Amino acid sequence: MTVVTETLATAEVRSPWREAWRRYRKDRFAKLFLVMFGVFFLLAVTAQIIEFVEIGQGNDPTYDRSLAQMGYEVSPGKMFEETHHAPTLKAFPLGILGLNWNGKSVLLHVFHGTKVAFVVGFWGSMLSVLIGMTLGLMAGFLGKFADETVVYLYSTLASIPYLLLMLALAFIFREGKVAEWYRDLWIAKYVSLGLFNIIMVIGLTYWVTLCRLVRAEVLKVRELDYVNAARSLGFGNFRIMFKHVLPNVFHLVIINFSLTFVIAIKSEVILTFLGVGVDKEPSWGQMISFAKNELMRGIWWPLAAAGAMLFLLTLSVNYVGDALRDALDPKLKD
Amino acid sequence: MIPFLLRRVLYSIPVILGVALIVLFLFDVAGGDPIQIKLGKNPDPIDVAELRVEMGQDKPFFGKYVDFLGQIATVDFGTSWFTETPIRTIFARGIVPTLSLTMPAFLLGAGIAVALALLVAFYRGSMLDKAMTLLAIAAISISSLVYILVLQWLLADRWKLFPIWGYERGLGSLTFIVLPILIWVLLSVGTDMRYFRTVALEEIGRDYVRTARSKGVAEGKILFTHVLRNCAIPIVTRCAIIVPFLITGSFLLEIFFGIPGLGTVLYESIKSSDLPVIKAFTMLGTVLYIVFNVVADILYAALDPRIRLS
Repeated sequence: MTVVTETLATAEVRSPWREAWRRYRKDRFAKLFLVMFGVFFLLAVTAQIIEFVEIGQGNDPTYDRSLAQMGYEVSPGKMFEETHHAPTLKAFPLGILGLNWNGKSVLLHVFHGTKVAFVVGFWGSMLSVLIGMTLGLMAGFLGKFADETVVYLYSTLASIPYLLLMLALAFIFREGKVAEWYRDLWIAKYVSLGLFNIIMVIGLTYWVTLCRLVRAEVLKVRELDYVNAARSLGFGNFRIMFKHVLPNVFHLVIINFSLTFVIAIKSEVILTFLGVGVDKEPSWGQMISFAKNELMRGIWWPLAAAGAMLFLLTLSVNYVGDALRDALDPKLKD
Repeated sequence: MIPFLLRRVLYSIPVILGVALIVLFLFDVAGGDPIQIKLGKNPDPIDVAELRVEMGQDKPFFGKYVDFLGQIATVDFGTSWFTETPIRTIFARGIVPTLSLTMPAFLLGAGIAVALALLVAFYRGSMLDKAMTLLAIAAISISSLVYILVLQWLLADRWKLFPIWGYERGLGSLTFIVLPILIWVLLSVGTDMRYFRTVALEEIGRDYVRTARSKGVAEGKILFTHVLRNCAIPIVTRCAIIVPFLITGSFLLEIFFGIPGLGTVLYESIKSSDLPVIKAFTMLGTVLYIVFNVVADILYAALDPRIRLS
């Protein structure tokens, strides 16, 4: 008996998160892609800081820098003349990835696009995860009327063709009263309407998956003894839900966050192509949309640059998400 | 079975009512003014008033909603505001091009995905498995727009292997749909393969596989007779759920390759706020979604004797 207590007392305490991290580290690719994601994150933060400083000082944005500063003697804005330049080492640094049809630096545009991708991906998933998590918790834990309402809400939303829903929402947040209201906010200066638009569309359409998963898991968790114990101690519903049940379903939230992050970035491309996305600033979606006309003129480098960045970021998030799912799955313990 | 169906039908009524409300609200608030689009910037006020009544746009929101419900009940959505074509004709014209693209693409894609999934499940843990899994993640990490732009430019524009754009009814459509089908397969195989691989691996871990192994059944036989049969349930149900999306079509592929299918219809109608077409399309999508979810449940019960519809 004494032996047991001694070992328990001296044993290293391993929290589930620590355990998950230990399993995560085993995958070499997972570590590599986590680092890659970190690099993208730093790029995005840098671009965001540069943008904030410029807005604060009232300067023109860097991505619109004139061509003279890049060592080119061309006039911008002439799509059908030979003003575009292929990537060349001679134009180091800003022209190294070439100029787009508009005579703007592709390097600066993909750099700024990283910021757009992160803003859209992070805040879009954040909104979607918050809605899905809260509604899922409420539906699963409170049951009865709350459950029926939430299930009705998401089954209705899920039966609408997604393109229709996305485009309708995008139009509302672009042109309706919401857009007018947003334009007057102080934040509109820092987060353009186009970005706000995409964040709202992602947040309001993609919460359904997580809500379903969380609800199903909470239905199981709420029958467990510790929840009954918490109830018998007289804890309120709210406290039990967020303090005791939520940590037990939080792995779902994390995994879903990474999935929605990717969906958000990809949706930015589609929405921008359809003309209801980002328009006031360069984004990967915008570069890819322009490519439709650029390719016909042999200008392939903006598409290559934006496509490659999009690919690498999506790949790293996808892989990290997969590795997280394996690491957080208690059934796969080894 | 009958009580099950009855309950599902009854349950779908509030869903349809909700969808109708949401879509009408979204487009009533967000859509452009159809009268202005139709008559131009400075129309005659009398024309405007007449047209408004004709389109049913003079009513308050609730009146429009009741009209919409009436249209749903009679399955008659009238004519398009802009092309003046009956909605039924529009859908009848669009369905063949859409299906001629999506059906072969889906069958080919799902077939390849299942075959690859079984292959990597057979060699699970090997270099092949790891390489294929990484390749699949890489394939799904490329934006669909990039796939379309690059392949259209490279294969059709540069190398002239396929026509760039267009569609022809009848057998002539073949040359036009090959490239979109190829792109669809590339787009879907990664996701599907990963899903089917998970399904196969889950089955391989079960007791009956261990039993079969211990009595000396060859690994290939276990995979193709025992495991595949049990995998059939999630595979078939997944396919059933995808069917509605095959009918509503892939709008990106259709726009880029000029295929006059339902995806193009949807895209054009949203662009021009053509509410009758949007309404009809929403209902088509919703009803198909509900129906094929029920079909999936029925298939599930039919394929797995342990499951009963309740």
